[in-house]
Amino acid sequence: MALLEYFEARKLLEKYNIKSIGSKYVSSASDAVKFSKGSGIALKLISDKALHKSKAGLVKLNLSDAKEISFAYNDLVRKGKNLRPYKILAQEMAPGGIEIIIGGRVDPQFGRFILLGLGGIYVEVFKDFALRLCPITQQDALHMIDQLKSRNVITYNGKSTKHLVDLLLKVSKMISENGSITELDLNPIIIRENGYDAVDIRVLK
Amino acid sequence: MRKMNLKPMMNPHSVAIIGASRNPDKVGHVILQNYINAGYSGKLYAVNKEADEIMGVKAYKSVLDIKENIDLAVIAIPAEFVPQAMEECGKAKVKSLVVVSGGFAEIGNNDLQDKLVSVANKYNMPTLGPNCLGIMDPKSREDTLFLPTFKLSRPQVGGVSFVCQSGAVGSTVLDLIAGEGFGLSKFISYGNAAHVDEVDILSYLMDDPDTKAIIMYVEGIKRGKEFVELARKITKKKPVIILKAGRTAAGMAAARSHTAALAGNYEEHEAIFRQFGFTVAEDLSELLYYAKILSTESFPSGGRTAIITNGGGVGVITADAMASTKHLTLADFTQKTKTALRKVMPPLVNITNPLDLAGDAGEERYGAALSLLSADPNVDMILVIALFQTPGADSRVAAKLISAKEQLDKPLIALSIGADYTKMHRIMMESAGLPVYDSPSSAVKSLDALLKYAKYRNGK
Repeated sequence: MALLEYFEARKLLEKYNIKSIGSKYVSSASDAVKFSKGSGIALKLISDKALHKSKAGLVKLNLSDAKEISFAYNDLVRKGKNLRPYKILAQEMAPGGIEIIIGGRVDPQFGRFILLGLGGIYVEVFKDFALRLCPITQQDALHMIDQLKSRNVITYNGKSTKHLVDLLLKVSKMISENGSITELDLNPIIIRENGYDAVDIRVLK
Repeated sequence: MRKMNLKPMMNPHSVAIIGASRNPDKVGHVILQNYINAGYSGKLYAVNKEADEIMGVKAYKSVLDIKENIDLAVIAIPAEFVPQAMEECGKAKVKSLVVVSGGFAEIGNNDLQDKLVSVANKYNMPTLGPNCLGIMDPKSREDTLFLPTFKLSRPQVGGVSFVCQSGAVGSTVLDLIAGEGFGLSKFISYGNAAHVDEVDILSYLMDDPDTKAIIMYVEGIKRGKEFVELARKITKKKPVIILKAGRTAAGMAAARSHTAALAGNYEEHEAIFRQFGFTVAEDLSELLYYAKILSTESFPSGGRTAIITNGGGVGVITADAMASTKHLTLADFTQKTKTALRKVMPPLVNITNPLDLAGDAGEERYGAALSLLSADPNVDMILVIALFQTPGADSRVAAKLISAKEQLDKPLIALSIGADYTKMHRIMMESAGLPVYDSPSSAVKSLDALLKYAKYRNGK
């Protein structure tokens, strides 16, 4: 199993109209500052050797001025010494919202599954998730949401249910149609009342 | 999808017991004894190398000597001799087999099990087991279980079929079912699932008119894709309640992604069960609770529930339990119902939900409340608490509940908590088709499960 390169994974998502946050690889601190255009960004170190980035301190969020960006960039370079080869990804900061996870995996016995859960750092703390076999129907998507304890939180009491259902159907379609995907993590996706952004994308083939 | 003809196995007109014995310590003795005790109405043959006759049944040296049509042969001899006995069955054109004997894949003897499968395939004989209890059907009086009736009570005839991989879980739950009033259609213990597996058995039960609901205990599903294909169909026809072992064996350690870490083997099974409308039980008692209500074939159109009680406290506890479910709510009676209730109830009865009829309530109050609430369009289901310790409650109340159940098209369940006197009434009501529960939480969970299943069946 190999991790699909970030921009390739993004391209795959785009094919299914799944929105992800503006991103670019940067090769220097000034490169990163230029990408920020004065608004907040995140910097992430991406390496096959580091699977759980935030746990390892490889994710720097809400960097707004040049000084902060440079400091964070240099810190990642220092941490990256043992993680070569690596790249540093700059991303726009998604507008505030709730972090969810949508994932997928293949089981040799039953086939391809889709997962929805409360995301980000809460995934493994609360283990609040729902799983279904792909492809799912709209009804299945609604049941998945309904199964979560956090359903009112992630849907803003139902206000974002419709676009969450749409998103689940798109991801289910992508999982079903791409036989080579063995595991998928869209974690986090920042969901808001009126939209969402996929932030971290991990596709294993 | 492959289609095995399990009819001769499930409803045999003639049975040969291979390994039938005069020695009461032998499994084959108990099986033959049980067939005789149960009053099996088909033809019965014993096969034993030494005896001419066992317990009044003529014995043959080999199944080949019988020279009659045999629907089912039950094989209860040491594992090493099983393939040879199966060969003889094949030559004698026996239509199906139950191999009770252990000593195959479950102890690592895979070669012997492969041999069993190849003989079964060679003669196209559906073969249940090995290492199983086999089949019990109180209606046809088929009983391949090697457990004596004084140790394991046999359930009465009913509409619930029980499919069980494990023999020990099987006999335990079967004994519990015997203590309940709802009764059994078929018990099928399939052990190693070497030939006939859960998909074959469920396919058969899906079309079996005597089976109203299925309860199932599985350790693993052998053919995942076929199981899913069947799952899509079966729960649209009848409810399936399932308990899957191995909940805690999630393979967390080696997982590379969050998704893989969360979604282990148990979670995947559970996801499929949920997606395709199975009712998931988390322990043995839940299997029974859910079977009781789901086999009534009475499905609600919503979750608005009326509680009638003759004990205020138990009514409140039940309402509390209901609040913790996702889809049940306390029904808000219509004004018309309230006015009518006020007219017929004595002043000490408050017209609220739960409706507390008070400790001196007898059949009249129960009858009036049931008939008014069953006509109320705001009520989808009724939960009647009948505490038989109270001065007013006796067999007439039980009889009133039974007749209400017969007339009602809404789901109705009873909750009766207590010892001997109560148990007597529980069995009385349940044998007449009214599900009775012994705790508020089991009653409420069961109504919730019923509603969930009804919604699935209606595509909601």
